Amino acid sequence: MQDPDAQDVAGAGRGDRAAAARLIARHGPKLLSVARRMLGRQGDAEDAVQDVFLKLWTHAARWQPGKAKFETWLFRVTLNACYDRLRRRGGEPLEEAARVPDDGPAPDSGLDDAALAAAVESALAGLPERQRAAILLCHFRDLGNVEAAEIMGLSVEAIESLLARGRRALRDRLAPLKAILRE
Amino acid sequence: MNELSDAQFTDRALARLPAVSPPAGFEAGLLAGYDGWRARRRAGLAAVLAGAARGLAQLVWPGAPAWAPAGALTLALLLGAGLGAVLPGGLDRMVSGFSLDRTPGFTTLISSDGEEDL
Repeated sequence: MQDPDAQDVAGAGRGDRAAAARLIARHGPKLLSVARRMLGRQGDAEDAVQDVFLKLWTHAARWQPGKAKFETWLFRVTLNACYDRLRRRGGEPLEEAARVPDDGPAPDSGLDDAALAAAVESALAGLPERQRAAILLCHFRDLGNVEAAEIMGLSVEAIESLLARGRRALRDRLAPLKAILRE
Repeated sequence: MNELSDAQFTDRALARLPAVSPPAGFEAGLLAGYDGWRARRRAGLAAVLAGAARGLAQLVWPGAPAWAPAGALTLALLLGAGLGAVLPGGLDRMVSGFSLDRTPGFTTLISSDGEEDL
């Protein structure tokens, strides 16, 4: 099947600005949402997506349709850009800061949506980066395990293992909010 | 009580996250990045061509400034074109001086007493 992006990638590589604009409109927002969930910071996510597109322009002229789906490549580059940024942050105690406190609000205390979203975001940010990436691809972007495995450069079994551990860890971290999330 | 699976729980938890909206100017910023890349690529191509021309100039006339071999080449081209214009049919006359159906004379190789000098 023809890659729906193939023509625009080739066009952008030749200097066609309209083709580049179409690629940005089609992929920019979803890459930003994945990067934002991976990095936890809007500014970092925007910078990461900017880097991804610069890499895309550089490689567009050499892009060979049929070797890999363009979107798969794009997600892979995005995840790598996020991993790089997370490593550059170094010793920031992200996981500790992101943990939902055990003595937080009780399930029946009536958390508002924003507080609940913040708690979920913190719990997600506290997951190891590859578990977080697997969960984002499969649950957030609704990709299949096979495509997620291709994006992450892992076997399907490895993705399933990451997903199982990630889901369990997320559930443990959100245990105080279990009753609310069951509603 | 009906317990959610870990996968269902994850779906419900992630559904609580607000959508990430691209800020104003996000796509314009990415497109500006594209424009910058195009400009750098054009500048890069010009630099490659200029570098190749400089390299050729150094090969033809080492140590000379770039204008010298370029000037010499231009002068040679102008001279050639001028001569071509001033001497119409000159090449035809030169070609007609040779005839392939005549046996070449090797008189310079033969000594005056008729013996071969080789």
